[in-house]
Amino acid sequence: MSLQTTRTDREETAADGPILRLEGVGRTFRMGEVEVEVLRDVDLEIGPGELVVMVGPSGSGKTTLLNLVGGLDQPTAGRVWFRDRELSACSKRALGEFRREAVGFVFQFFNLVPTLTARENVQVAAEIVDEPLDVDECLRLVGLAPRADHFPAQLSGGEQQRVAIARALAKNPELLLCDEPTGALDFETGKAVLAMLWDVNKRMNKTVIIITHNQAIARMADRLIRIRSGRIADDVRQDHPVPPGEISW
Amino acid sequence: MVSPSALDRKLIRDLLGSGAVVLAIAGIIAVGVSCFVAMRSAYHNLGEAKDRYYARCRMADFSVELKKAPVSEASVLGELPGVTEIRTRIQQFVIVDLEGVDAIINGQVLSLPDRHAPIINDIVIRRGGYFTGRPEDEVIVNDAFARHHGIEPGDTVHLLMGDRRRGFRVVGTAISSEFVYLLGPGAIVPDPSRFGVFYLKRSDMEAAFGFEGACNQVVGRLSPEVRDRPDALLDRAELLLEDFGVASTTPRRDQISDRFLSDEIRQLGTFAFVMPAIFLGVAALVLNILMARLTEQQRTTIGTLKALGYSDGELYRHLLKFGMVVGLMGGLLGCGLGHLLAGAMTGLYRQFFELPRLENRVFPGVMASGLAISVACAVVGVARGARGVLALEPAEAMRPRPPEGARVTWPERIPWLWRALGTGWRMVLRNILRNGKRNAVGVASSAMAAALLVSGLLGRAALDRGLEIQFSLILRSDVDLSFRDTCGRGALLEVRRLPGVDHAEPTLDVGGTFRNGPYKKRGAITGLIAGSRLTAPRDAEDRRVPIPPAGLALGRTLAEQLRVRPGDELVFEPSEGRREPRRVPVVAIVDSFIGLVAYADLAYLSRLVDEEFAVSGVQLEVDPRADRREELFRELKRLPVIRAVGVREEMIESIRRTIVDTNAAATVMMVLFAGTIFFGTTLNASLVGLAERRREVATLLVLGYERSAVSRLFLRETLVINSVGTLLGLPLGQALFWALMQTAQTDSFRIPMADPSAAFAWTLVVGLAFSLAAHAVVVRSIGRLDLQESMRIRE
Repeated sequence: MSLQTTRTDREETAADGPILRLEGVGRTFRMGEVEVEVLRDVDLEIGPGELVVMVGPSGSGKTTLLNLVGGLDQPTAGRVWFRDRELSACSKRALGEFRREAVGFVFQFFNLVPTLTARENVQVAAEIVDEPLDVDECLRLVGLAPRADHFPAQLSGGEQQRVAIARALAKNPELLLCDEPTGALDFETGKAVLAMLWDVNKRMNKTVIIITHNQAIARMADRLIRIRSGRIADDVRQDHPVPPGEISW
Repeated sequence: MVSPSALDRKLIRDLLGSGAVVLAIAGIIAVGVSCFVAMRSAYHNLGEAKDRYYARCRMADFSVELKKAPVSEASVLGELPGVTEIRTRIQQFVIVDLEGVDAIINGQVLSLPDRHAPIINDIVIRRGGYFTGRPEDEVIVNDAFARHHGIEPGDTVHLLMGDRRRGFRVVGTAISSEFVYLLGPGAIVPDPSRFGVFYLKRSDMEAAFGFEGACNQVVGRLSPEVRDRPDALLDRAELLLEDFGVASTTPRRDQISDRFLSDEIRQLGTFAFVMPAIFLGVAALVLNILMARLTEQQRTTIGTLKALGYSDGELYRHLLKFGMVVGLMGGLLGCGLGHLLAGAMTGLYRQFFELPRLENRVFPGVMASGLAISVACAVVGVARGARGVLALEPAEAMRPRPPEGARVTWPERIPWLWRALGTGWRMVLRNILRNGKRNAVGVASSAMAAALLVSGLLGRAALDRGLEIQFSLILRSDVDLSFRDTCGRGALLEVRRLPGVDHAEPTLDVGGTFRNGPYKKRGAITGLIAGSRLTAPRDAEDRRVPIPPAGLALGRTLAEQLRVRPGDELVFEPSEGRREPRRVPVVAIVDSFIGLVAYADLAYLSRLVDEEFAVSGVQLEVDPRADRREELFRELKRLPVIRAVGVREEMIESIRRTIVDTNAAATVMMVLFAGTIFFGTTLNASLVGLAERRREVATLLVLGYERSAVSRLFLRETLVINSVGTLLGLPLGQALFWALMQTAQTDSFRIPMADPSAAFAWTLVVGLAFSLAAHAVVVRSIGRLDLQESMRIRE
């Protein structure tokens, strides 16, 4: 399936209601003797095609929130919906299917399989969905076609993160979740990666959620959500997001 | 061609990346499977060769040994229901007089039809041919004897028959299914140099032994319904021929050659499951640990794949494939190795068993089972180890692993001990005790390897001890004579006058049936004179047991089979004399490793068979000088009353040669096999440890530790674990040996427990040697560690 047709499909579905909906969501972890409430009473709706940046200091609960909407974790209170599917009521298996069909992840430390080449790392994702994007096309999109046969150890951090983005895209997911995607990268490389995510959002119309503790990145968002101590402290729509190329930090 | 999925490519690279460790495990599996394939193949090789051979020779299902009976009377056995066919024949023991051989050679002569016909217990001609039909003295010699003495068709052999020395022209050499395992009188291993079978024309035998129209043995075949339970039929046969002096009735399972062959096959069947089970158990345990570690190392990758949407099932199958490939590698290697080993074993059997077409064949079923077992074992090992994958939550898996708990280990609670240890030992002990489960596997593996080794080495020690007890303590005569018929005092006096005889003691063997209620056993009572020196029965503690003036000193095995204890009475039915059942008390229990024994006072036993003083053999203590011995042997060959002569030195020598040599080959194999386990598990544990602690190792090196000092830490861990395992394995091996011996012992041969200290010492040496060899590989890995990269590992 080519990128063009996908984009049209996504545009059609974009019209109907929020893609993600959280109601009174809380998440408590047990750490030995103590219970730690990482998230409490979060209400949130995210629409299709939005580019959302969540900022907050370390330990504020951003990653936990991302894990909940990505189907990697279940809330201990409240409910989470992806369209009309209630994730908070899903079995482990159903969550796995949800991740497979709908979510692409990009991690701070890339998490590539070290024993697979760049192309194979993308393939490993493409192989488990029914209608994947073309693997080489994805690599070309992130500018890594010439280095497709290199192993992660032979790639720079930025290149590895681009492979990770290609991997996330290859499944053609509706939702792209990025956990500190520039956290392990230098300024220039980080900017290039952000530009890529911006493109994915603008050109392919994917819903992209980026979490970061870097306030500067917030300027590229359609919507900026500040998280503090497990609660949403601020939720702002930005009418004029700035392309990453123009941001500096 | 469909290209492999990305996950499969990851699998291939993971396998290649784990190189030495995967090879070590595949090696252990291969050893287990090769054991299985070798023993199972040898089992089938022997079993099939036996079945083919028995069918070809029309092997008898039973035999009845008589004093002498007219053929017409003996033939009534053929009419018994269940008996399909019989053959009467004449058998005698003779002394063989070969040119240039001073030693005494015993022989058995058997009658064959003058003209060849398909008969029961037929022969298979190896060289030359059957009797020519010309009126000449012709003989067919058993092939092993002929080979050993270089006898060719056309040569002449002299047999001392009755009181005549007669020459026979060899027309052919042959083998027969009833002599696959050919034992001379009193022997427990085949010795073609001292015993042979000689087939003569029936007409010659009749004339030579005064057996015109008569026979002294009936062999027969049974219909399938009675073949497996011939006892009732044999009891009837015994009654029918009572008047002709039935010496014994022998169902096939008690026929000496068949019993040895069948026992060997049965034992192979048992061993083929016991030994491989040990190896494969170890392999599964090691794989379990390896997989747990691989899973742990790939925590992040597996978490990521889960985040991508891979299901638990898909990832679990992916890891199972790893096990399957390792199992398949080990299995294929093991099948090949096992086939070679089966060839070696079959070759060894050819030395013992005179079996035609005993070849090493490939049994697809055995190979397939070998492969299936190895894959199953590897998958089981992997399945448990990889269970961590299922429990792993992706969100958690992608977070770095929390630091190890700082659990206080028990030696730390003993302040004086802990203070006495250096930093190195403290690290070693903490590492060992904190990784309890994994190191328990290491301990278990080396325990099993040690147990295997001990059980292998004990075989030799036990054999030595058995021979020592049997031939130094119990049987102390230099030469044993047995007479053709029971004689009186005169024979004893005559023997005493022979040249070179220093001391002579008479013996009386009376065959018959022992009964105690429902328990029944055929056997013989040996009569000894009071205070006999040359046979000195012993108890389990090697103390001499005096022969009671009345009643029996019964061998332990026989007593156990008959369920009698000292103080009980049993019924003995002699197969000679008036054959009246007699009640005899059991007075003492004695221990013996060869045969089922029962001793009685010679005078008491004589009375039991209604004689005043009967002698069936004489034990001699002779002058050790060679010329005196030769003179004695020359005289013995001239005595017509002598049926067979046993020379102790030769008997011990032939036992040593056959059993001990075989045992040596088995021991070498056992050392290699056990070594594989020591080497494989040590290597695996150390490399796993090194992989996990690369950063720690690199840190120590960066701090300025010598590589040798760092590798010493690993060596200490290895030594502690392997020593604990080996020490546990020592008594385990003794128990294993005992258990194996329980399945291996037969009526004719038992193996005693021996002093295990030498076996223990060798096991420690071998364990240490292979552990050090594995450590050498680890030292090399430490030497090649990339410091910078190791320091960068994210934990």
